[in-house]
Amino acid sequence: MKRLRFLFHPVLVFVFAQLAWLSLLGLWIYWYVSNYIIFNQVGDKISPQLISAKTNILALIGGLVLLLAILTGMYLIFIYLNRQLNITKLYDNFIANVTHELKSPLTSIQLYLETLNCRQVPSSKQKEFFALMMKDADRLKHLIDSILEISGLEKKRIAYNFHLYEADSIIKTVIAESVDQFRLEEKAVRVTGSVEGQCVLDRDALKIVFDNLLDNAIKYSRESVQIAIHLAHTPKSVIIEFRDQGIGMAAKEQKKVFDKFHRIYSPEIPNVKGTGLGLYWVKEIIKYHGGSISVSSEGLGCGSLFTIELPIYQASKTHYMNRLLKLTQRRKKQQGAYHEKE
Amino acid sequence: MKKNEHAGSRILLVEDEENLAKGLDYNLSEEGYVVTRAENGKQALELFAQNEFDLIVLDIMLPYLDGFAVAEKIREKAPQIPILILTARAGAIDRVRGLQLGADDYLTKPFHLQELLLRIQGMLTRKKWYKEITSDQPRYRFGDNEINFADLTARAGKQKLQLTQREAMVLRHLIDNKGRLVSRKELLEKVWNTSSEVETRTVDNFIVRLRKYFEPNPAEPIYIKSVRSAGYMFSELSQQHRKRKPKES
Repeated sequence: MKRLRFLFHPVLVFVFAQLAWLSLLGLWIYWYVSNYIIFNQVGDKISPQLISAKTNILALIGGLVLLLAILTGMYLIFIYLNRQLNITKLYDNFIANVTHELKSPLTSIQLYLETLNCRQVPSSKQKEFFALMMKDADRLKHLIDSILEISGLEKKRIAYNFHLYEADSIIKTVIAESVDQFRLEEKAVRVTGSVEGQCVLDRDALKIVFDNLLDNAIKYSRESVQIAIHLAHTPKSVIIEFRDQGIGMAAKEQKKVFDKFHRIYSPEIPNVKGTGLGLYWVKEIIKYHGGSISVSSEGLGCGSLFTIELPIYQASKTHYMNRLLKLTQRRKKQQGAYHEKE
Repeated sequence: MKKNEHAGSRILLVEDEENLAKGLDYNLSEEGYVVTRAENGKQALELFAQNEFDLIVLDIMLPYLDGFAVAEKIREKAPQIPILILTARAGAIDRVRGLQLGADDYLTKPFHLQELLLRIQGMLTRKKWYKEITSDQPRYRFGDNEINFADLTARAGKQKLQLTQREAMVLRHLIDNKGRLVSRKELLEKVWNTSSEVETRTVDNFIVRLRKYFEPNPAEPIYIKSVRSAGYMFSELSQQHRKRKPKES
């Protein structure tokens, strides 16, 4: 019975149903065409009024239209159901990943609060506990913020702050800020190359991109972190190559790493905790900038190479870039008007 | 907090969340336990192989090797060491899996500190009590059955069985009070160390399991007899009818 279970897969059922409909349609047309002449001849002899060419053609066209409507309806229902199934899967992943990420810092905060409540904790220890609680509270805040930001990003409600920047200096500055935030040693991150041209960027969003890439490189590196960032450009785009010496990933995972809530589970790699949102967030930000991101890895243990491509202003996607700048200006005006009212 | 009678017990704390591990380490050390911390599954197994522990507090979502695999491997080597699973995974499937792999208790995050400490104390109390009662008489025979309380193995006729520590503890308590009525309440107090979560029906379920293992006909028990609405009584009188003398070693 298990072997036959694949026959009930929604895609297969849908394909069979469509084939059945199309076969029925073909049979019907075949039957109609092959019997049309006989009908005409016999009908003429029995009763000339019985066969009316006009009615027949109308019935045929009407029937075809109805069948096509049913086929389209089935197709739309299938697409909708498929989307629902994917949403259910995403929801399950979300619950599994996010529940853990929410519970861990909460557990820690609760433990320290109860400890401080039940025990006579020396003041030096108290300070340490408060610092740990703050760290956990920050972790919770970061998680909640990222979930809300992504939700806003998907609904195109995110309040981006796009400006025209000299690509080389802004990218290098943001990278330096991210490196500084993760307290990485200077030699751990090497930035080479340079770019010419201007880009329309949101500085904070760009930082989120580098923060996430650095965070992943740190989490998935077995020993010391080694990151090489190379900047280059083509006539139309800025190219940022972000290479880490982490554990890398298998070929089949490379397409999926940017999927929402996707996590790689393998006994060969450390079971790193996370929400599965980071790289999805990165991809959405880059997409919103009119760019693209891809990953390549020669396999497990060989590190990963993330390649980001961003359009150069006035050389590519000019209309889209101008729209981003206009959106930012409009939003600022609205905010200004709102503050004046207040 | 009261003075802990189990102070000095060695606890292996397997938790990869550093903040939480620090807090647990502090509290367990304050209770007088000697705590060794492991950050991942591999390290937990290495530490377990090198040292002796009285109890293990185990997270499930661990780097490299998850808590289920760790529990399974530890159980293979040490069937009696109490394992408390402490995890964010609260689903019934995970709970059942954890308990099936041999964990003695399962506590979900976020938890209350007092509850965790009491559960640990209870587990250590049961371990101590079990050790005491089995040290002088590790083997016991009745009818065609033989039980080794030291390694929790049993033989019913030709069939070999592996008992859980609780099954062994219920049986041991009934045997030690052979011929005397043992109430469900008494079993709860002695074996479960009175837990509000455990109902008297749980005791009945354990008795059903033990009868299935050792009674020739579980529907008409001859060793573990029910005393209506009072409790249970272990008896070996039936063997006199068979003209066989029970052996004790």
